[in-house]
Amino acid sequence: MTDHPARKPDQAKLLVALQDLDHMIRDAEDAKTAAKMQEMGFPMDGIAEIKKARTELTEHIKPQLLNRYQRVSQNYERIVVPVVKDLCTGCFAKVATSFRYEKNSVVTCESCGRILYFT
Amino acid sequence: MMTSQELASYFRESLCIFDLKAASKREALAEMVDVVCSEHDIKDRGLILEMLLNRESLGSTAIGKGVAFPHGRTLAVRDLSIAFARSVRGVDFDSTDKKPTHAFFLIIAPPQDRDNVYLQVLGRVVDLIKDDASRDRVVGASGYAELKTIIEGQGL
Repeated sequence: MTDHPARKPDQAKLLVALQDLDHMIRDAEDAKTAAKMQEMGFPMDGIAEIKKARTELTEHIKPQLLNRYQRVSQNYERIVVPVVKDLCTGCFAKVATSFRYEKNSVVTCESCGRILYFT
Repeated sequence: MMTSQELASYFRESLCIFDLKAASKREALAEMVDVVCSEHDIKDRGLILEMLLNRESLGSTAIGKGVAFPHGRTLAVRDLSIAFARSVRGVDFDSTDKKPTHAFFLIIAPPQDRDNVYLQVLGRVVDLIKDDASRDRVVGASGYAELKTIIEGQGL
């Protein structure tokens, strides 16, 4: 797959993809959401497939970052959050503008510890 | 409850493709994601495409009668966005009725959607298309103005 973020060295993007997958798994396993989806006509029987995709994705993430992701997930539902107008959208603390230019590094909010995603 | 006017407000001309070129599921998704990224100046196209392909692995969003609703949430988008596409020749989208898919409603939203507008929008679009007459009109729409008139006029 040419667009698979795992082929790029950008670890922040991999963490975003991981969170997207985790949200998808959570929705699929949530009885209320799954019932709503099935009522609309959407089959939801491929949960094993996306769990497999999650495992494959984590193999491309550096262990220390994966640990950080898991650690933050113990405190927050949203682990990776976008930075909007130089604010962490998890806790709304100011994010240093210089962080945006730290290429190939994963930046966390100094206030809440969430992983930051610069859109 | 979301009105048909509110639903119609999500449809933009620049996010509608009336002559989808794609011949496969992946190509169809990529073509639609391209217009969304272009319209909203989104840099991480790959993240959106990956999320949509994963969502299709969970279960096909082509629920028969020539229509598909690829959808999902990703941090790569800032706001809820709907793209519409129509393929005259049809695309094999793993539809539940095994038939080619001709009309696509792509719905993507950020995870930070407190009011769950995403699910409301998805539900409204599915409701619209479940009606045979509306579906036929949407699939046969000649352009954006007609499509928007159909959606606005549903009185949903």
